[in-house]
Amino acid sequence: MDLRLPSGVFFTVLGAIVTGLGILHPDMRAPLTDVNVNLFAGLGMLAFGAFLLLMARRAAHRKS
Amino acid sequence: MKLAAVDYVILATYFAFVIGIGWVLRKKVSTSGDFLLSGRSVPLWITSLAFIAANLGAQELIGMAASGAKYGIMTAHFYWVGAIPAMLFMGIFMMPFYYGSKARSVPEYLKMRFDEKTRGFNAFTFAVMTIFSSGISMYALGLLLHLVLNWDFNTSVLASAAIVLAYTYLGGLTSAIYNEVLQFFLIVAGFAPLAILACAKAGGWHGIVSRLPANMTHSWRYMGSASQNPMGVELFGMVAGLGFVLSFGYWCTNFLVVQRAMAADSMSAARRTPLIGTIPKMFLPFVVILPGIAAVALAQMAGAGGAHLYELPLKAGTHVKDYDQVLTTLMARFYPAGMLGVGLTGLMASFMSGMAGNVTAFNTVFTYDIYQSYIHKGAPDSHYLKVGRMTTIVGVALSIGAAYLAQYYNNIMDLLQFVFGFVNAPLFATFLLGMFWKRTTAHGAFSGLVGGTIAASLTWGLTVAEGKGGVFGTLYTFPSVMAQNFWIAIFAFSACFLVTVLVTMMSPPRPEKELEGLVYGLTKIRHDEGAKWYQRPAPLAIGVSAMVILLNIWFA
Repeated sequence: MDLRLPSGVFFTVLGAIVTGLGILHPDMRAPLTDVNVNLFAGLGMLAFGAFLLLMARRAAHRKS
Repeated sequence: MKLAAVDYVILATYFAFVIGIGWVLRKKVSTSGDFLLSGRSVPLWITSLAFIAANLGAQELIGMAASGAKYGIMTAHFYWVGAIPAMLFMGIFMMPFYYGSKARSVPEYLKMRFDEKTRGFNAFTFAVMTIFSSGISMYALGLLLHLVLNWDFNTSVLASAAIVLAYTYLGGLTSAIYNEVLQFFLIVAGFAPLAILACAKAGGWHGIVSRLPANMTHSWRYMGSASQNPMGVELFGMVAGLGFVLSFGYWCTNFLVVQRAMAADSMSAARRTPLIGTIPKMFLPFVVILPGIAAVALAQMAGAGGAHLYELPLKAGTHVKDYDQVLTTLMARFYPAGMLGVGLTGLMASFMSGMAGNVTAFNTVFTYDIYQSYIHKGAPDSHYLKVGRMTTIVGVALSIGAAYLAQYYNNIMDLLQFVFGFVNAPLFATFLLGMFWKRTTAHGAFSGLVGGTIAASLTWGLTVAEGKGGVFGTLYTFPSVMAQNFWIAIFAFSACFLVTVLVTMMSPPRPEKELEGLVYGLTKIRHDEGAKWYQRPAPLAIGVSAMVILLNIWFA
């Protein structure tokens, strides 16, 4: 098993949930936050998940 | 702190993934070697991240934020002084013997290099120690979840243990290691935003420096005398005690971490595992310690309405600060639903990676070094695979028992952790002499270990720090428990070293032929000719050292 695949999927799912929350509820704040944390952190996780998936695909291509 | 539905969804997604990884990997297990040693087939980047993740348990995560709030940037010494040099030494100098000897565990290496009694001593103390440390970590997590989320202690302890059991039982060490990498990513994803938000709110590093006492924002400047810095430790105690004895003892001889490097697919990868691990390791302080430091600054800043932005948490019904709650209370102040779920999942992930590390190491040592050596020799491999699987269940059950023991007898656990310190501290002297001085004999090594342990108990019994120790009288009073710990380690190491050398000189040497592959000078170390420079251990180690020195200067 190429670990990049499941962890890529995991972070994509996680990123999608958190980003979605940030888009649907842009005013959601904790007492000390001034920005839309969910949106930014979610996008970061989406990007990381996509990066892992891309790496997994490249490795799979090289093998075949 | 209250969780929303989405936070539970995130937590559930994570649980599904860790168990799913174990489920997929179960097919890879057909021998005891697959289950307990990963069949030595794990890719380098995975072993490197697992190497540091196995050490990044919940206690570490909670404790580092707590120490950040208590001692400031000096806490980073646990990384930059107390981990990186030892990890480099391990990769460059010690891994060739561990991996090359074909030993399946650290105690087994001791058996090959010395004798049965030295192995037995190490295997037994290590097995007991891993059980108690995973139990203590489980207790810490259960307590915290109860405090901040009002979750039931029993449910959270049993549920998290059941999940760890599920994926380690299914896929063995490979599953534990693969999940440790996922957990490592999740810890960073869950806590790096907290560090950034808290630091930005406190006005950046400059804002923090302007609000905190100078000895909390400089890691070296106030090390000259113990009374000047918040840790109460002086330069020599820090560098020799933490930086040399304790850290080399932990990173170079503790099977929990060594096992990750031994699972690598080649000697070259095994040597580079701790070396590459140092790169994320040196930046972890910015994720795990910085929030604690920023918390102290936030506690001095007034917000709207004149109240402080943040109050350092107190123990229930007292005015004593409860630093262990710093991390979770900060999360509640900075994370809305969604990110809160990610942060909490990160905390759970850290707990699981620490516990799985303990359980898999316990497994291997029990099955190979205790069961196969003393209880049932010469059975077919399938028998040991079955024993390995059973030991997983027993190990988890014993950890749960230890967690409840910790809940009922808090002070006993303090004492136990101390006793384990005695056992661990002299160990590095034994390995140093064993690996680099071929004359060292088994009797020398064993008497050295015993001598070192006695020296440690004597130091503890004759000195006092913060009202602890001094059961035999008081010869000296240390400014802090931490200084006392460091000096106990220094005395234990020195005593072990001297006794080993003395007894070795009085006992007959072992024939050199038997020591091939186990000792420096009698082992061919491949120098990876043909490998690119950045794939060789030495240039890697030099690069890492330069980066760590720069970090130390930056925050001096």
